[in-house]
Amino acid sequence: MAINKVAVIGAGVMGAAIAAQFSNAGVPAYLLDIVPEQTTNRNSIAEAAIQKLLKTEPAPFMHKNNARLITPGNVEDHLSWLADVDWVIEAVIEKPQIKQALYRKLVAVCHKDCIVSSNTSTLPLKLLIEGLPDSIAGQFMITHFFNPPRYMRLLELVAGPKTRPELIATVKEFADIKLGKNCILCKDTPGFIANRIGIYWLQCGILEAIDLGLTVEQADSLISTPFGIPKTGIFGLLDLIGLDLIPSILASMTQALSAEDAFQEIGHLPKRVQDMIAAGFTGRKSKGGFYRLNSEHVKESINLETGEYGLSHNPQDSKDANLQALLSSSARESQYAWRVMSKTLAYAASLVPEISDDIVTIDAAMRDGYNWAYGPFELLDQMGGAWFVDRFQVEQRPVPPLLRERQALYHVASGELQFVTLTGAYQPIRRKPGVVLLADIKRQHPAILNNGSASLWDCGDGVACLEFHSKMNALDMNSMALIRQSIDKVKSEFAALVIHNDAEHFSAGANLGLLIQAIHNQNWMVVEQLIRQGQQTYKALKYAPFPVVAAPSGLALGGGCEILLHSTAIQAHAELYTGLVEVGVGLIPGWGGCKEYLRRYLTFPKLPKGPMPPVVKAFETIALAKVSKSAAEAKELLFLAATDGITMNKNRLLADAKSKALSLCTNYNPPQPCVYPLPGKTAEVLLDMGAKSLQAQGKATAYDLTIAAQLAYVLSGGDCDMTEPLSEDDVLDLELNAFVTLVQQPNTLARLEHMLKTGKPLRN
Amino acid sequence: MKNVVIAGYCRSPFAPAYKGLLSKVRPDDLVAQVIKGLITKTGVNPDDIEDLILGCAFPEAEQGLNLARLIVFLAGLPITVAGTTINRYCGSSMQAIHVAAGAIQMNAGEVFICAGVESMTRIPMGGYNTMPNPALYESFPQAYISMGDTAENLAQRYKIDRIDQEIFSLSSQQKAYLAQQQGRFDDEIIAIAGMNKDSCLRPDSTVNDLEQLLPAFQKNGTVTAGTSSPLTDGAAAVLVCSEDYADAHKLNKLARVKATAVSGCAPEIMGIGPVAATHKVLHRAVLKLDDIDIVELNEAFAAQALAVLKDLPVPLDKVNLDGGAIALGHPLGATGARITGKAASLLQREGKQYALATQCIGGGQGIATLLEAI
Repeated sequence: MAINKVAVIGAGVMGAAIAAQFSNAGVPAYLLDIVPEQTTNRNSIAEAAIQKLLKTEPAPFMHKNNARLITPGNVEDHLSWLADVDWVIEAVIEKPQIKQALYRKLVAVCHKDCIVSSNTSTLPLKLLIEGLPDSIAGQFMITHFFNPPRYMRLLELVAGPKTRPELIATVKEFADIKLGKNCILCKDTPGFIANRIGIYWLQCGILEAIDLGLTVEQADSLISTPFGIPKTGIFGLLDLIGLDLIPSILASMTQALSAEDAFQEIGHLPKRVQDMIAAGFTGRKSKGGFYRLNSEHVKESINLETGEYGLSHNPQDSKDANLQALLSSSARESQYAWRVMSKTLAYAASLVPEISDDIVTIDAAMRDGYNWAYGPFELLDQMGGAWFVDRFQVEQRPVPPLLRERQALYHVASGELQFVTLTGAYQPIRRKPGVVLLADIKRQHPAILNNGSASLWDCGDGVACLEFHSKMNALDMNSMALIRQSIDKVKSEFAALVIHNDAEHFSAGANLGLLIQAIHNQNWMVVEQLIRQGQQTYKALKYAPFPVVAAPSGLALGGGCEILLHSTAIQAHAELYTGLVEVGVGLIPGWGGCKEYLRRYLTFPKLPKGPMPPVVKAFETIALAKVSKSAAEAKELLFLAATDGITMNKNRLLADAKSKALSLCTNYNPPQPCVYPLPGKTAEVLLDMGAKSLQAQGKATAYDLTIAAQLAYVLSGGDCDMTEPLSEDDVLDLELNAFVTLVQQPNTLARLEHMLKTGKPLRN
Repeated sequence: MKNVVIAGYCRSPFAPAYKGLLSKVRPDDLVAQVIKGLITKTGVNPDDIEDLILGCAFPEAEQGLNLARLIVFLAGLPITVAGTTINRYCGSSMQAIHVAAGAIQMNAGEVFICAGVESMTRIPMGGYNTMPNPALYESFPQAYISMGDTAENLAQRYKIDRIDQEIFSLSSQQKAYLAQQQGRFDDEIIAIAGMNKDSCLRPDSTVNDLEQLLPAFQKNGTVTAGTSSPLTDGAAAVLVCSEDYADAHKLNKLARVKATAVSGCAPEIMGIGPVAATHKVLHRAVLKLDDIDIVELNEAFAAQALAVLKDLPVPLDKVNLDGGAIALGHPLGATGARITGKAASLLQREGKQYALATQCIGGGQGIATLLEAI
């Protein structure tokens, strides 16, 4: 069954953003809400919601044009539209009567195979379908998205006993492939999986902090990075969620859960938080929460004891890399971390099989729903299950049955990752067809080639995978060496090469540390070598006798973007943030980035004719260090070609890239070299005018102009005449000269050092 | 010498570039419709037309080739009508009128269509392939100075405060809005794609709104988007013929062309161009500034218009009676025909004796036309 058109009812924050994610998948959506009182525009709520989506950061749309795929309407005049939709998602207020009344109306218009789902986070499915005819129950399920739906990978799906299996399968597949979600099947239990554990964890975090007298900063610095939990920790996350939502969530959980459930002990809202809500301090969407920016935009935090705001002090990051050490000291901080995390992990363990039959699903829910780097059971393995249980016994706390055997919860057997079941036996983790993870491949065979920065793996069917694995996947001489070795290896033993890694970011670009060192030594020969080697390596990649498919996700900046530009094809994860950002560190792209990016515009058919537009366009992107905020935007910026592919689900990226590579193998011919008919000095003059006008407007510094002038010289073709086209190597020489010139400027060094130190560009 | 008269004027509605309703209309189609409208409105016999003289500031792409000749075909004019495209940037279509007037007086034709067009949406300012001469840029960079910078230069030299620019702009908006409300544009606008109202106007803007705007060209400057003419799509046309011809064919004579002039000035203060051109045209007409009853002074920028008015002290109630380019818009090639046609029809409407139409021109020029009541 295909999902060709959907409707979302309820244009609140979630409903509207869910509609946006459908538009990102290329599926048109109706967005309906009620007709507001006293208005002439009956669609005003949905229309305003779409306008708000366009202004929201981070952007719910992968491309602003996607907004056109959403049609606003209202539930009084436009229910008839629903006759041709294949999925209706209800995201209205959490009141069963209102939802049920809506479902009855929906069934009257929707076709019999239309999926009807609720985005409820608190109401059980059995309550929602109570008393409804079987025909509705057969079409009905809960699809619980996490906020913000574009970025949070979890989709919890709850089906009832009467839900038609083929509809469940349709949603699972669509959510996975088109929406890019990790769709997990949950039982019909309160809070499903992620919030059941997540809310418990947050509540423990608040109550224990008050009990032990920790500041919110102390609490958040502990219950975050050390455990692979986002920096927002407990209180920062509560500010994001909105404190005002907490009382109703707690009420619904304590009401729905049994009296014995451990949640009951922690399910009360402390007075301090009640007071904050009453005073309107409900988090980031209001005047502040546990944290706020004062009138001078300085960060403040609340004193949990007194309720007064004071300057925020970031405590020193814990130096204990070892979780046992972190959790074992007698310091209050350590006690806090232990209390919060031990309770949470034990609670999670006690919920198997109540909320899920296996630990893999629970770990996935916490990773994808709360952005934890590791799920609760992975964390338990990291701190040592036996150690954990021993300590529980010392503290005379009940040990959940799942942990009593003190065995590892995950282990690898004959190259396969396995997880423990309630019986104590291990079961292998099976991936769905179309899901190939590099991590799985790495468990199966040793690397074909490897050094400290990169490795080459055999991912089957004649395709090799080149993986970067340095810090932030920064590219250095080792990366370059491994690319060259890989080219030789693939030439003789494989049919194609995929460049991919499963880190958060594909590559942050060249390793700046090396460059800075060379500058301090005034060793310009080394700089020149660095550039020449990169240019030659990337060129060898481009002209390799086999297809090279890059499969990036996350950041692909500078040198990381240049490698994309030299690939035969790209299969990108939808969340791709790529750009030639070298000017930010006082440089220009030197590994063929100018050359390749210019080529994309020289051969772009939609540009006005004449010698100037390609140069002007390439200049605008590189001089302003434009970075795509999605793969769709990368396509618009021509970092991706029209024929390059986009994969919504990161877990499918490697498999998609592999099939793309294989599809290119038949009769593969490396590309023909490009010739560059460039305008020469006249373009340099024009670009200089543009840069100066930006400076006059206060949008560029004097040094920005120096860099822009070097970039303009390269992109214009130097002193060439438009009747004499340049070769690729000519453009590479221009890149090299400009790069070496800029590297010798003190302002460039200052930019480089600032970036390395702070991670942010310096505007000198 | 023969007398030259303006015997008809009309234009398209002016719409903001990119987001306006004319953004999807090709400029050749746009001006062809205006010319058809002019033929109908004046009742001139198309077979008598000598030449279509068309002004355009960036004659390339859809405005390229010999646009005027193509428009002869598009407008369904007889094949015997010739066509020439001329470029004096913002003064292009006023120049078209000057060329026609000269030709009539040397007996090189009786009837001319003088038109102008610019789609600033479809052909960007500077065109698609601006290729400045590197040597000239080195020795005389102001040859390529941006228009916004010239306005800032005038604001500085003539000490024109931002608030004065804002008051001038608001007044232009209010005059244009009033004229629109009272239907005073209705008989000059030819409906295009069902649209018959100018849409650049911002009648709701207040001094407070204008104060919020950031300087558009220079960080510490005074010129904002609110005190500049907007990028505009539009077309305009006038019928220029000998007075004898108009009389013989009973055409509605709006005004007589009494004198014309062009002049050059420093490019970095191009906005002051109308001053020298006006002095010349007054001298040629043997008139004084005080003799002028109606002035159409193009408002490229409020700072620029105010600088001109400092050197040419004309009472404000004689200037741009129905608003100017800051409110109505400034489709470069079309503006000259608009303000000359407007000045001619204002002479008739207001029952006055002399009108002056004048404009500044990028690169450092001024152009002026002196009209006299019939």
